[in-house]
Amino acid sequence: MRYDCVIIGGGLSGLTCGIRLAEKGARCAVISTGMSALHFSSGSIDLFGNEGEGKIVFRPFEYLEKFIGSNPLHPYARCGSSRVREALFYFRDQLDLEDIDLYNNDDANHFHVTTLGTLKPTFFSQRSVFNEKIRLAFEKKSKIAALNFEGYRDFYPELAVINLKRNVLFRNIEISSGKILYPDYGDPQRNPFEYRSIDIARIFDTERYLEDLAAQIRTAAGDAAFAAMPAFLGITNFKRHHQLLQQLTGLLIYEIPTLPPSILGMRIDNALKSRFAALGGVYIAGDTVRGGTIAGGRLESVFTENGGSSALYAGSFVLASGSFFSGGLVSEFSRVREPVFGLRVYSHAERSKWHAQEFFPRNGHPFLEFGVETDERFNPLTDDGQRLGNLYCTGALLPHYNPIREGSGGGVAVSTGYRAAELILAGNR
Amino acid sequence: MKRIETEAIVIGGGATGAGTLRDLSLRGVRAVLIEKSDIASGTTGRNHGLLHSGTRYAVNDLESARECIRENKILKKIARHCIEDTGGLFVTLPEDDPSYHGKLIEHCKYAGIRCEEVSVQEALRIEPNLNPNILAALRVPDGTIDPFRLTSANVLDAQERGATVLTHTGVSGIIREGDRAIGVRCRDRRTGVELEVFGGIIVNASGVWGQEICASAGIALRMFPSKGSMVIIDYRINNVVVNRCRVPSDGDIIVPGDTVSLIGTTSKKVEYDKIDEITVDEDEIATLLESGEKLIPNVSRTRVLRAYCGVRPLIAVSGEMDGREISRGIVLIDHERRDSVGGLITIAGGKLMTYRLMAEMAADLACAKLKVRKKCRTQKTALPGSERKLDQAKSVKFFTGIPNSVVGSTLYRHGQRIRNILHREKRNYGLICECEMVTEGEIEYALKKLNVKDIVDLRRRTRIGMGPCQGQLCAYRAAGLFVKYDSATSAESNKMLVDFLEERWKGIKPVLWGDALREVEFCYWIYQGLFGLGDVRFPEEGEDR
Amino acid sequence: MIKLENISFDHCIKCTVCTIYCPVARATHHFPGPKQSGPDMERLRIKSPGLLDDSLKYCTNCKRCEIACPSNVKIADLIQSSKWRYFRKAFRVRDFFLARTDLMGGVATRASFLVNFFIKLFPVKFFLDRFMKIPSERRFPRYAQGTFRAWYKKHRKEQEAFAEKAVYFHGCYVNYNNHDLGKDVVTVLNAMNVGVIVTDEKCCGVPLIANGYIDKARKNALFNIESLARSASESGARIVSASSSCSFALKHEYPNLLELDNSAIFDGLDYITRFIHERFEKGNVPAMGPVPVRAAYHSPCHLERMGGVMNTIEVLKKIPGLELTILHSECCGIAGTYGFKKEYYKVAQKVGDELFKRIERANPEIVITDCETCKWQIEMSTPYRVEHPVTVLARAIDGKKL
Ligand SMILES: Cc1cc2nc3c(=O)[nH]c(=O)nc-3n(C[C@H](O)[C@H](O)[C@H](O)COP(=O)(O)OP(=O)(O)OC[C@H]3O[C@@H](n4cnc5c(N)ncnc54)[C@H](O)[C@@H]3O)c2cc1C
Ligand SMILES: Cc1cc2nc3c(=O)[nH]c(=O)nc-3n(C[C@H](O)[C@H](O)[C@H](O)COP(=O)(O)OP(=O)(O)OC[C@H]3O[C@@H](n4cnc5c(N)ncnc54)[C@H](O)[C@@H]3O)c2cc1C
Ligand code: SF4
Ligand code: SF4
Repeated sequence: MRYDCVIIGGGLSGLTCGIRLAEKGARCAVISTGMSALHFSSGSIDLFGNEGEGKIVFRPFEYLEKFIGSNPLHPYARCGSSRVREALFYFRDQLDLEDIDLYNNDDANHFHVTTLGTLKPTFFSQRSVFNEKIRLAFEKKSKIAALNFEGYRDFYPELAVINLKRNVLFRNIEISSGKILYPDYGDPQRNPFEYRSIDIARIFDTERYLEDLAAQIRTAAGDAAFAAMPAFLGITNFKRHHQLLQQLTGLLIYEIPTLPPSILGMRIDNALKSRFAALGGVYIAGDTVRGGTIAGGRLESVFTENGGSSALYAGSFVLASGSFFSGGLVSEFSRVREPVFGLRVYSHAERSKWHAQEFFPRNGHPFLEFGVETDERFNPLTDDGQRLGNLYCTGALLPHYNPIREGSGGGVAVSTGYRAAELILAGNR
Repeated sequence: MKRIETEAIVIGGGATGAGTLRDLSLRGVRAVLIEKSDIASGTTGRNHGLLHSGTRYAVNDLESARECIRENKILKKIARHCIEDTGGLFVTLPEDDPSYHGKLIEHCKYAGIRCEEVSVQEALRIEPNLNPNILAALRVPDGTIDPFRLTSANVLDAQERGATVLTHTGVSGIIREGDRAIGVRCRDRRTGVELEVFGGIIVNASGVWGQEICASAGIALRMFPSKGSMVIIDYRINNVVVNRCRVPSDGDIIVPGDTVSLIGTTSKKVEYDKIDEITVDEDEIATLLESGEKLIPNVSRTRVLRAYCGVRPLIAVSGEMDGREISRGIVLIDHERRDSVGGLITIAGGKLMTYRLMAEMAADLACAKLKVRKKCRTQKTALPGSERKLDQAKSVKFFTGIPNSVVGSTLYRHGQRIRNILHREKRNYGLICECEMVTEGEIEYALKKLNVKDIVDLRRRTRIGMGPCQGQLCAYRAAGLFVKYDSATSAESNKMLVDFLEERWKGIKPVLWGDALREVEFCYWIYQGLFGLGDVRFPEEGEDR
Repeated sequence: MIKLENISFDHCIKCTVCTIYCPVARATHHFPGPKQSGPDMERLRIKSPGLLDDSLKYCTNCKRCEIACPSNVKIADLIQSSKWRYFRKAFRVRDFFLARTDLMGGVATRASFLVNFFIKLFPVKFFLDRFMKIPSERRFPRYAQGTFRAWYKKHRKEQEAFAEKAVYFHGCYVNYNNHDLGKDVVTVLNAMNVGVIVTDEKCCGVPLIANGYIDKARKNALFNIESLARSASESGARIVSASSSCSFALKHEYPNLLELDNSAIFDGLDYITRFIHERFEKGNVPAMGPVPVRAAYHSPCHLERMGGVMNTIEVLKKIPGLELTILHSECCGIAGTYGFKKEYYKVAQKVGDELFKRIERANPEIVITDCETCKWQIEMSTPYRVEHPVTVLARAIDGKKL
């Protein structure tokens, strides 16, 4: 099979890249072992939230201007800050086409409330997580009701409320909590005490339960102006049902991320896949790229687990296979490697230096900064030093940034994926 | 200052202390147990849980071997739900001295241990994952014993018979009146509250820390600490205990325990003042995995969940010796006779599986001092949950409607007490820990009945967070349930969540590669990336209230 | 005591993703989902087989969980192999018959008229329902008169005359129920100048695996590997199958589930649309007339798992006049013999519900799918006729009415 571009890894980065390429008419295939990190993420796209040592970044693009100079290896530095901006807003527009509205506070970060009631700086959030009305409500110190289903094991509002109340922003805001009950839903054998977010999202997706749910939410919220609920308000019919719920209850209803699976992340995943397919992209799920044929500094083809010896040929390739978690990097007793092509990797020789001493360290865990070394065009080197000019590495696979400490995971995935697409398109022109 | 008066005081909530408390309670003696941390948090919770047949000691230490086989038989009756009668094998590898095999058979005969030669083929049938290249094999009545359940069941029984248990309460000194010890000073480590407990006899069962207790009473007693490290692998890679048939050395044994297997152990001398700081060294892990792989080749393909170490509580008899050469013999000291300090006895040494015997010896002496003339009944009296044979089929039938896996796991952990835990209400059997099948009902029971103060304690009572994910989903859920069942405030719950994850981290750190690293990356994303737990501020005591 | 071969459960990081994509867990909470039934429980089952939960029977082996898993855990394989341990105890006459498609087919095709007639009669349905636990709502595929092999025998000579040949694994369904599909394969391949070789074969094993007849499945598998490999190496041909489930079994279930070495056929074996698509790409496109039909394409689970869906789509796109809607990938629910069992019938229909609704919304004239059991399920549950992509291709080639 022949394509213009084969993308290995169907996560945030690979799909952003694929959408950009397909939109420009390239024949693209994405191959992905399994579902990506989006399925667990908060569904907000972080750009740059923390300087380190607990210092928060309020205006990420301004911050990047200086940051890039002193961190030339950082993926953002290799994109350039104006391209990072271009990529992010491109991404927002693409999601918009798929009916996902992302909120951003112009060029500044905003804060979304975490599962434990801490505040996290981020750049884009879904409008059910943050929007202007929520901000106004905060400013007016409106009363909040934290609501949950009775028996839902993956969210405990009490644990969040105590931390929120310690925050100066919430000092004078009254927060009540309340419980709602599952509507009479399907099979009586079900054990609702084992529902996951996805099971509840399916209840919200079913039109006929909405009125019952709205009535319960109304009652449980009392005199609060808005209701905060775990992020399980639906997937397939989310936008419409969310609006309907707000109308029926007369409340602002917003969502707080919870334990995996992440409904917020899945919405983005669905939207990206749907957009990619609409542009003619081919998504091959459940297959793993095992290796490739390299000749003259170029990757000619790759072969996969299911395909056996029949290879996939392309002019360019993108490796967006994620970090350890997704299998883009593999760690062994005493080394870290890139499993598909054996690319050169940045890591520490001593295993005891891979991690910090505490689980919650001040400066993050070093292993999160490991990854495939590339040049400024995101081309990697093979282990024997050969530069692969038509292979681009993007996303969580890249080294020299710490997605959690910096609060930069989503932003790096989007902007490097986009950048790779631009480089490929420019090369073809 | 708070004051408690009682008849007997037991210091240390390991198996020995818990056993002594129960033994005293069975004889009608009012007793208080004081444990600085949690039940079974000392050496008791840091070994490989082998129910020795005694074979391991048959060649070097006949007396220990005899003790083992005697206690082995008793525990199989009184502690059924804490024990698995797996059987064990001693296998000879091509590189091992073949003569040790014969020597072992001979010595087992002296010790009265049933030790039977089996063909290699038969050994592979018994344990299909065994290295097929072994040269010879012996079958012995080894088994496994769960230290957490064992200790907890002893404590539970004692409490039901009127004993008092103070966990997270450390003894800071012995109160003396002339040549007698009459009580202890202690401090609740969670609230900071100080209290004094007075009693007619003090049993020092604080294991390797016994030296400090004695020192605080002005008594010199020297412990000889020797560290042993172990690794836990993700699943039960073997179903019978597999020992290497050679002179005891590092990485000789793989013990199946509940849903996992443990490879043990190493032996390294440590300075006494370092016993609270010991960690597992890199080279120990390499040794254990290399040796483990020789016994069961699948070890090299399996995820290592964690590594941990314990300190053998041996009392130095004389001179400098290798840690392993010393007898594991039981040491009972009457300080009135040895040091002319009345009211204090020390019980130490021995093994987990000789805890009952040690408790009997300590209680006999304590009762003699208290002039209580009651006989020990622990050989015959089953622990709570172990009254009858565990019949899984019957329980499954009794709890029809609840999944077998839940019924089976609950029965396995709590024996007959399953009836106090499970019932057919959906809330009750909803799963909280999905790796180890811990239900909300089991957690509620543990919170109310089993002296659980935080998530780390809860783990020891229920196995929550002990599976492959090491608490990734269930830790947060458990923190929520502490609030739901009024066992903690929201603020305390947040704090114990951090403590729990940090505690788990200690054991994961040394084995951070492969799938364990993937798991950690995921877990850290959840708790830091998604929850921001590392950013939660914990105000000083009282700021909130 | 368990010998541990499939230890992929060890890679599970408990991310919960598989639970989202399991169509059965969505349809019924009798089934706790792939994570629990697969990797979670495997650790417990290794500890003690008594901890096995019956609920894992609900798994249809659709493999959607495996497609979703980022850790390459062979979740469905773990569940199937545990099923055998369970099924070994509970032998059922019905399962025996459902599993033995070749045996049943051999008998039924000799008197297909009678069988097809009887199986529709109320008392027979009642008997099946009450005593065999086959739900009376379930419609049976019709048996054909005679076998495909008998037809092929008459045409062997002309097929062998082609310079390029393909060994065709036709499977039980074509042999006993639907000869026309087999003939269509011949039409299409011949139009591309490829001759069709049929060699000795036995049931691929899918129904045997599903019903716990593992030893029999292994026997069949060894036979098929040997026979296909021999035939392919003699004629230097590739091997094709037009049943997505048979191909999947031959290629993936043999090594992963039955733990057999199928390297002798692995690389040479294609699901038919891959074979065709590759030749299309090289310019070997037969002359085709328009097929002016509005069709909705449903991708079967096992083809999804093999990553072969895009081949079918690309091939269909080449058919002039065909108006194609590609349905969102959903499981139809039947899962081979699963939907034939009374205790699962409702679940099967509920699983398929989403697909049926989507078909309705697409409002096609026909539905196209690669799998025979999907076909039965969709034809029974919706008013639409279902055709195999090769059949549609054949009509474009021979100009007959679809
Ligand atoms: C729990 C969690 C929470 C997060 N929260 C946030 C957040 O709130 N905000 C934020 O901005 N970011 C967040 N992130 C980070 C962000 O989601 C990731 O950085 C980003 O999604 C990475 O995208 P990626 O495409 O580079 O890699 P991934 O999403 O990891 O995708 C890689 C894909 O490649 C596939 N793959 C791997 N190897 C192969 C192969 N050989 N062949 C074929 N396919 C292969 C994998 O199966 C996977 O689907 C979070 C991440 C996690 C895990
Ligand atoms: C590596 C290793 C492997 C082993 N393997 C086995 C085996 O397989 N089988 C077997 O039978 N035995 C085994 N053992 C031996 C066994 O673990 C111990 O003999 C047994 O656990 C000792 O129990 P204990 O109650 O005496 O001591 P501990 O369990 O140490 O109990 C002492 C308790 O006292 C508490 N304490 C200390 N100071 C104070 C204070 N000031 N105030 C209040 N409380 C205090 C401690 O917190 C502790 O909980 C092994 C030991 C090691 C080190
Ligand atoms: S194979 Fe299909 S039915 Fe079975 S667990 Fe996986 S997704 Fe569910
Ligand atoms: S998707 Fe894979 S890794 Fe995730 S829970 Fe399921 S089996 Fe485990």
